[in-house]
Amino acid sequence: MKETFSIMIPILIPILTGLFLLANPAVKKRSVLLGIVSAGLIVTAMSVFAVILGDGDSFTLFYLTKTLPVYFKIDGIGRLFVTVVTVVWLAAGFFSFVYMKHEENEKRYFGFYLITYGVLIALDFSGNIITFYMFYELMTLLSMPLVLHTRSREAVMAGLKYLFYSFCGAYMVLFGIYFLNRFANTLSFTAGGVLNQELIGGREPFLLFVVFLMILGFGVKAGMFPLHGWLPTAHPVAPAPASAALSGIIVKGGVLGIIRTVFYLFGADFIRDTWVQTLWLSLTLFTVFMGSMLAFREKVLKKRLAYSTVSQVSYILFGLAVLNPAAMEGALLHVIAHAFVKCTLFLCAGAIIFQTGKTRVDELRGVGKQMPILLWCYTIVSLALIGIPPTGGFLSKWYLAAGALDSGIPFFGWFGPVVLLVSALLTAGYLLPITVNGFLPGSDFDYEHLEKREPSMCMILPVLILTVLAVAVGTFPAPVLSFLTDVIGKLV
Amino acid sequence: MDMKPVMMSIVVLIPFLTGILIPLLPFKKRGQMMVFLETMMVINSLLVFAILTNPPAEQFALVRFTGDLTLSFKIDGMSKVFGGLVAALWPFATLYSFEYMKHEEREKTFFLFYTVTYGVTLGIAFAEDMVTMYFFYELLTLVTVPLVMHTMTREAVLASRKYLYYSLGGAAFGFIGMVFIIVYGVSPDFVPGGSLDPALIGDRINVLLLVYVLAFFGFGVKAAVCPFNSWLPDAGVAPTPVTALLHAVAVVKAGAFAIIRLTYYCFGIDFLRGTWAQYVVMTAVIFTIVYGCSRAVKETHIKRRLAFSTISNLSYILFGVTIMTPLGLVGALCHLVFHAVMKICSFFCAGAVMYKTGRSYVHQLDGFGRRMPWVFGIFTVSSLGLMGVPGLAGFISKWNLAQAAVASDNPLAFAGVGALLISALLTAIYMLTIVIRAFFPAKDFDYDSIKDVEDPNWYMLLPLCVFAVFIVIFGLCSTPLVDFFRTIAKEMGSL
Repeated sequence: MKETFSIMIPILIPILTGLFLLANPAVKKRSVLLGIVSAGLIVTAMSVFAVILGDGDSFTLFYLTKTLPVYFKIDGIGRLFVTVVTVVWLAAGFFSFVYMKHEENEKRYFGFYLITYGVLIALDFSGNIITFYMFYELMTLLSMPLVLHTRSREAVMAGLKYLFYSFCGAYMVLFGIYFLNRFANTLSFTAGGVLNQELIGGREPFLLFVVFLMILGFGVKAGMFPLHGWLPTAHPVAPAPASAALSGIIVKGGVLGIIRTVFYLFGADFIRDTWVQTLWLSLTLFTVFMGSMLAFREKVLKKRLAYSTVSQVSYILFGLAVLNPAAMEGALLHVIAHAFVKCTLFLCAGAIIFQTGKTRVDELRGVGKQMPILLWCYTIVSLALIGIPPTGGFLSKWYLAAGALDSGIPFFGWFGPVVLLVSALLTAGYLLPITVNGFLPGSDFDYEHLEKREPSMCMILPVLILTVLAVAVGTFPAPVLSFLTDVIGKLV
Repeated sequence: MDMKPVMMSIVVLIPFLTGILIPLLPFKKRGQMMVFLETMMVINSLLVFAILTNPPAEQFALVRFTGDLTLSFKIDGMSKVFGGLVAALWPFATLYSFEYMKHEEREKTFFLFYTVTYGVTLGIAFAEDMVTMYFFYELLTLVTVPLVMHTMTREAVLASRKYLYYSLGGAAFGFIGMVFIIVYGVSPDFVPGGSLDPALIGDRINVLLLVYVLAFFGFGVKAAVCPFNSWLPDAGVAPTPVTALLHAVAVVKAGAFAIIRLTYYCFGIDFLRGTWAQYVVMTAVIFTIVYGCSRAVKETHIKRRLAFSTISNLSYILFGVTIMTPLGLVGALCHLVFHAVMKICSFFCAGAVMYKTGRSYVHQLDGFGRRMPWVFGIFTVSSLGLMGVPGLAGFISKWNLAQAAVASDNPLAFAGVGALLISALLTAIYMLTIVIRAFFPAKDFDYDSIKDVEDPNWYMLLPLCVFAVFIVIFGLCSTPLVDFFRTIAKEMGSL
């Protein structure tokens, strides 16, 4: 491990490119804009992979105060998250090239899109909680313009709601950080935790309250009940590729925060078998069920997908809350699977809106006849989300259930898998009708006016690649699993 | 080389003389007066900095009443903080006022009192003992009343009357405190760690605690502690340079400064910590933190909104004070300085909007971000700073305050940390709604309707830019300043 500036390169490239776009009025032609954006995305992605294939470098940028360094370090979890971020960000980015054609202020959109990418990379590379918190707040602020991009009244209100929920969560986290700083040896992420037993001296009950507050705070971004309200409002109003990025990636920022808090700061043993674990498990299971139910009832496709995110991210959180290796493996697998799947689903929804302008589920009859490739991709990733083998979703849910059953936690050990199963049925219930109605519109359907409307290559290709990846995670899981086992081994 | 002690009184007197000369000198043009005034302000500030960096070792007695009772100056760490802050801000604020006051009447009277206030504030900063501080504290009230009243509207007259009554009433309670300090103290001077004499107190501890609480709320009137805060938003009718400099920095922070002197240099933290008096004042302060922010969210007039924000932020400072540990003082001083820069910055932005466009309500600001990119860019920086985003000044001061609260092991202080964060959320709400409105107006917004809106000239922009830069600098490398605060706090006990 060495201190090297190279870790900053993938963070700085997209941020500087984005700032250049925002500040430079000279970039007017669309081709120039897209050229810069694609160059920015590709160069960043390459530098990300160059950096994470190294042997875990670290870098201290500067000191906020004497004891608070802004410090970056590459570790296993960071590598996992940054890879997922990069894949999704590129896919959704190239998808936007066509999708954003009809929207105003393309430059602002792409500028903030790039900056947010840089901030997310920084978030994944953060080596201590202060750095993490800093980029967490920046992520909120800089992704907000993506939410309120259309500037309709609804979008602006959603942007504000997103902002205030997120800050509410961030300040709960900050409350925890203040206290952690007193009772911990260091604020750097260390596998197994950093608490100093001598300093704590009998204040465990209070610290349990603090850790719960931090979980709840990060849970805001991850859409965990009771502070999930912003998610179904904010995700659907953004332009579709931005919804894809928000729902696939930004919510994972909260997940990463919880992983860092529980496994790298407090240590899994600190909350095992306490009221915090019990309450956390109940909240996640409730969210899983509630999200699926609400998605089932929702008629607007993008909103339905947003509710689905609420439910699915809590699968991940449930896996983390069980606090054993198998469940955690399931959780991390679901991070990958859900990111790919949800991004694909939103891109499909976006492609449908772009080609037909239809947003409601009941308008989508016969859409499979119009754009068969797109709807096939939609169907395959839906199956992955439901958890049909051999897709990524099956594998992650398998590990989640196995981990829970194996954990020996009374009640939740068996109740958890039951809820997951019920929710999987609901998932099928809210995703598959679109496939069925899309391909089999029924005998009274007007086939006369049907015309092929398959979206252009630039839209289809990202969707196809993500679909393949979502399946491949489940079909050829060996390298991913061995990588995850290695990471988890140090934590639980 | 150390400065001569007499220099301390010279920097206090220069603003008095300059102020009095303004209506007397026959300036041919407005420009001449501007040059004269700005030159004097810069010279005075440079002199102040020269004195603060080479402080004279002895005190300087201005007037001797009887025996121990003197008006005398002496410079210690606290004087450096408050004096330095005021001296740094005043020339910029004066520059800004030239442009702002262009269209106002009775400009000379305004600048007379505005300038004199500088001297009075320095007098408070340099005061060696309670009597001197009290003298300048009363004087501060008197010279700022005409500034509040400046527009002479009915509203302004009522506001200034309210300000006068509140301040004089508060000072009366401060006076009680002063008397007890003189009677029960070993010396009337400020002594780090407190000047009370245990032998003299005997079993009258509760009486003294009651006096402390009275004096705290007395001086707290200027620092706008709930329930004595209502004068501050009303006083916002004054021209913006007054609201920005006096009602966000000089006057209100004189109140906080007086409370620091009272708590750390007179009664002493060891005497107060853990008593019922601490709990009473801390409860009031925590309540004010949340109350001020909540009212700010409701308020739609920009300046009133910022005034309520000031109420809340002043109580951040007082929260640090009422933790009553040396670390608490570090947090309080941090916020005293950082909040001054952030709030004067946001007030000047609001003032620029009002001056250029005459609009003063939040809902009138749609789309201004594109027309006034500098003003609203800087306003965004100051908003994020006030919210406490890491990398900006507000984060550092909140971090220090929270660290002090956590380290004090006082459950009420833990609740205070919660209040700080609730207030941070409310700050996000009342500041960012303005920012978002300005930068992201509704889709069908007609930019032609605000064609006349544009950035002000450099008189106004220069102070704004300087403050914005400092918000960032303080956020990124606060260590030298915080170390200086720590050396001041070390005089009270180990950190």
